[in-house]
Amino acid sequence: MSDPQKLHPIAALLTFLKELKNLVFPVVFLVLMGKGQKNGFWDYLPLAGAGVMVLFVLIAGVVKWLRFTYRLEEGELKIEYGLFIKKKRYIPIERIQSLHISEGLLHRAFGLVKVSVETAGGAESESEAELTAIKKAEAQVLQQFIKQEKKRKSESAVNSHADEAEEADHEDSIFYRSRLSELLLMAATSGGIGVVLSAVFAFLSQFQDVIPYEKIFKEASHFIEMGVAVIAFIVFLALLIAWGVSIGLTLLRYAGFTLRKGKENLMIQKGLLEKQQLTIPVDRVQGITISENPLRQILGYCSVHLESAGSRGEEEDSASMMIMPMVKKERALNMLAELFPDYCFSAELTPLPARAASRYIGRACLYVLLPIGAAVWFFWPFGLGFLAAFMLAALYGFVRFKGAGWRIDGRQLTIRARKVSLQTSFVLKNRIQSLEVIQTWRQKQKDLASVHAAIRSGIGGKRIKVANVSFNDAGEIYRWYELKKEEDYDPGDRDGYCRD
Amino acid sequence: MIGSAFIWLLLIAAGILILMKQWPLWTLFILGAAGVLEVLAVVVILPAMRWKRWRYEVREQEIELQRGVFIVRRTLIPMIRVQHVDTEQGPLLRKYGLGAIKVSTAATVHDIPAVEIEEAEEMRKVISALARVAEEDV
Repeated sequence: MSDPQKLHPIAALLTFLKELKNLVFPVVFLVLMGKGQKNGFWDYLPLAGAGVMVLFVLIAGVVKWLRFTYRLEEGELKIEYGLFIKKKRYIPIERIQSLHISEGLLHRAFGLVKVSVETAGGAESESEAELTAIKKAEAQVLQQFIKQEKKRKSESAVNSHADEAEEADHEDSIFYRSRLSELLLMAATSGGIGVVLSAVFAFLSQFQDVIPYEKIFKEASHFIEMGVAVIAFIVFLALLIAWGVSIGLTLLRYAGFTLRKGKENLMIQKGLLEKQQLTIPVDRVQGITISENPLRQILGYCSVHLESAGSRGEEEDSASMMIMPMVKKERALNMLAELFPDYCFSAELTPLPARAASRYIGRACLYVLLPIGAAVWFFWPFGLGFLAAFMLAALYGFVRFKGAGWRIDGRQLTIRARKVSLQTSFVLKNRIQSLEVIQTWRQKQKDLASVHAAIRSGIGGKRIKVANVSFNDAGEIYRWYELKKEEDYDPGDRDGYCRD
Repeated sequence: MIGSAFIWLLLIAAGILILMKQWPLWTLFILGAAGVLEVLAVVVILPAMRWKRWRYEVREQEIELQRGVFIVRRTLIPMIRVQHVDTEQGPLLRKYGLGAIKVSTAATVHDIPAVEIEEAEEMRKVISALARVAEEDV
């Protein structure tokens, strides 16, 4: 492995396609500009420009492939690339946390995989520590080599039970595999609330005979019948199609979702067309979040995410990793307790004080004040009907208030809050990087405060928030965080600790 | 900043409305007075109040910050979570012999905006001496 290795030629094509994707808008813009009559050189310029851009990206892809080499040498993964400026990235193997392996359609056609190297912490190391396309066998060799190298290092450091660890690592059995029915349910309930609402709307419009709409809106009746009915139908249809597509996409992405549990790692495999394999070291987990969107909450299902330090996560913009896409909540809690024995997944939280309800309701009403005001103004006097939307807003605020809560168990903080989904986050004290208690002057009048706990997530941070707990409770969380040892924390008359 | 911009947008909108509807001139004067007051508040009064309320404390185990006029924020940063400390000095701060301190944890960055530069340097030394990042916690 110490000779410089090249990527598979397909890598050039993949780089080209990836860069082309970023160029779609400028190229389309230029092509559109270049349409119409051509009377000379200048009229061809936009088209030529588009052509040059595409050509440039193509050449860049090929050059990158030509110059890109990687090798394992002296306990480091050495990656070198670049034409004019030669870039070298040497990653010490003990700094490599895990290899993420994924394969797209093109990869699969040629038996290739993409390998992303996850390092600990490094904020500046992003996509470049990525082997765009190598043979599956090579990836396996790489994986084995890194494993052995790491083992050798740790053995020379501490001559301990490395064999034992090795054995255990092979034993990683499938911990959880999602069923097709669960995935279907997941796809159907993701963001499906709009569809349900419009379905209800369409359903209600069938009751024209029963409910005297015409009496309610005398003059506006024909407007209601014609315009709104047609628009509602079109919107409903569009949403339905979008929903269908999203179900299909979700199924493709999460098909065959399996979670394996090793001694030190969690391994996730998923995807039908584009297969992904993620490895999460358990000791890098910063926090665990159970989220239930309203529909799933009614059905008793939830999904579970992890916040992990240093890894990029499955989405570009978030560092969370889903470890259970759709599970019955009861089962999720049981599995979590088995996966993370350090945590306590108790459901009994300290609720917010009753005086906080008006803050949530008021806030929700404030959000809709402007749109409702505008609607009333434009559709005067029938627009007054829009005032009913305040009821919905108030209901939303109240539901948020009911959902929120907090709890401290030993060295663990649990915070629950809702925007749309109900999110329960579990963090250990030593994973909280800083804690903030915030009090606005309105909150001060009501003796309330908000608590923000910052944890590391990926290469950045994430705040876990709960708004409008009583000021005393906020102080209690603050003091709990301040104290060096959790034994000093007196849980008062709260029910006992989690571990029984 | 955003709040101030919003207020100015409202003021300008009101001004245009007054001109269009040709309401009496004194309404414009009231509007102007409101604008002057706004500038006064944002430029003079609020910064002074903010400065008056800014508190920081560096203890052996933790750093504590408290700030804000209408929104009071109280932040606790344990020493073992501090990853590094920077001091910064722009041209304006240099003129007055001040410096800003940036305390970074694995997830957040906390600013202490204007401290005497000697004190800032001293504090940086103290914090980096006290900060012992526990590797396993990131």
